Amino acid sequence: MTPQSELSDQELLARIGRITWFHSLELRPGIVTPGAKSLAVLRREEEALLGPFDLRGRSVLDIGAWNGAFSFASKRRGAARVLATDEFAWTHPTYKGLESFELARAELGLEVETLQLDPTRMDASLGQFDLVLFLGVFYHLFDPIDVLQRMRAVTGQVLLVETHQDALEREEPAMVFYPGRTLANDDTNWWGPNPPLMLHLLRQLGFARIYYRDHPHYLPAEGSRTRGIFAAILPGAEPAMSAHFGIEWRDLGAAGAMRDFRP
Amino acid sequence: MSEAELRTAVAGHRWLQSLRLRPDLVTPGLKPEAQLKAEEAALFDTLNLKGAHLLEIGAGNGAFSFAALRRGAARVLATDHLAWTLPGSDALSATQWAAHALGAGIEMSPLDPRELTPRFGSFHVVMATACFDQLFNPIQALRGMRSVTERVLLIETLQDGLADARPLMMGHGQVLPIGGPEGSWVFGWGPNLPLMTQLLTDLGFSRVLYRHHPTLGAARGLYAAFLPEAPDGLLEGFHTPWINVTSPQAA
Repeated sequence: MTPQSELSDQELLARIGRITWFHSLELRPGIVTPGAKSLAVLRREEEALLGPFDLRGRSVLDIGAWNGAFSFASKRRGAARVLATDEFAWTHPTYKGLESFELARAELGLEVETLQLDPTRMDASLGQFDLVLFLGVFYHLFDPIDVLQRMRAVTGQVLLVETHQDALEREEPAMVFYPGRTLANDDTNWWGPNPPLMLHLLRQLGFARIYYRDHPHYLPAEGSRTRGIFAAILPGAEPAMSAHFGIEWRDLGAAGAMRDFRP
Repeated sequence: MSEAELRTAVAGHRWLQSLRLRPDLVTPGLKPEAQLKAEEAALFDTLNLKGAHLLEIGAGNGAFSFAALRRGAARVLATDHLAWTLPGSDALSATQWAAHALGAGIEMSPLDPRELTPRFGSFHVVMATACFDQLFNPIQALRGMRSVTERVLLIETLQDGLADARPLMMGHGQVLPIGGPEGSWVFGWGPNLPLMTQLLTDLGFSRVLYRHHPTLGAARGLYAAFLPEAPDGLLEGFHTPWINVTSPQAA
């Protein structure tokens, strides 16, 4: 598909300027949306998140897609079907997320479907997707346990969870609650789970193997492990979706896997 | 029902709670009679239950529902989820035998508290023992309980993370003697006091009282959470060791 846009560079820049961007997306050579996350940061995140999976011909569901960086990345990596969903950012008066997504999609000429739906209302009627991207959403939910159960219901092979985490000094499963604006002065932040907790929750939901890797920008060497990435694999997942976890990933079910999370 | 039939029924069930059905007949339950009595006193001596409508979540064999009825409650609905619905469970049948033996007119219904909505009706008092211990999703269950509470929610729960000032809950797996002969693996939670206070506040309770468990100390906690519309007089029976832990945000 080729770009459908008939906007001039000037018009495109004007439209970009009316939106507060989270993702930096290169829409035309030299025209990059001014996202809070830079192109370089997103490139590293994309490789960390999507690198282990051969997405060619597969289906991807993106929860909380916002400007669409990971939906577009999945499509570029060969996914046959990508469904981008969001509600909070897409209906937010400043973020104008859906407008931003549609502008970027038209410029990039990528076939990605959209559905304005909050994850607290998703269930199996949405269908099942080979890969579900649940990135930066878990800790924004007052009831993340319910939504994780819903994510299980729409996952065909792998659920990828990226989240803020806490209680890393504990080897037992725990999650910390943030009343009001306790965390980062943001009243949409509710919970910080630790890796043992994610392992237990995901196993309880029927995932067979849970892999973990540090977030590429929140590394223990830099004194911070406040975000982590979890790949939860259902029994019977294809090798293309479950067999390419590099050295950065650890199997949380292996003996002693929880020991060195301590700060 | 003859005495022989009753004794056969008692012997033929697995009992979660030790209930005195006759002066010389106590069901051989996992939870001893003395502990149940201590919990009943800690939870119910605080409140005048005369004429109250009470919903019990996680009733097990109904010990607290029977106690509420004895204390004058006008309507008692005993419910349980896992213990009454897992394949191989006989706890509901055991409770029905106990109600029959005690001549106790309580209602009984299997119920997952996650599914509670205002459409279910409302109760002056809602209570849940072993509350977080056996719930995969205690947040949703608390929400459900809140939605049918008219005045006060009483909770008895496992606690953990008590040395931590941060509100948190810790995951706990355990094998419960319910379901098939081998029991059932159940994933639940142990919250700490700051978390309980915050969650109850966020769910709309304006005053929260707390005390340690009467026989097990801080390992388990008792909470009484009041909705804004509960009359002040309702709190009068909550003496030491109950303490007010209401969050400053709720004021």
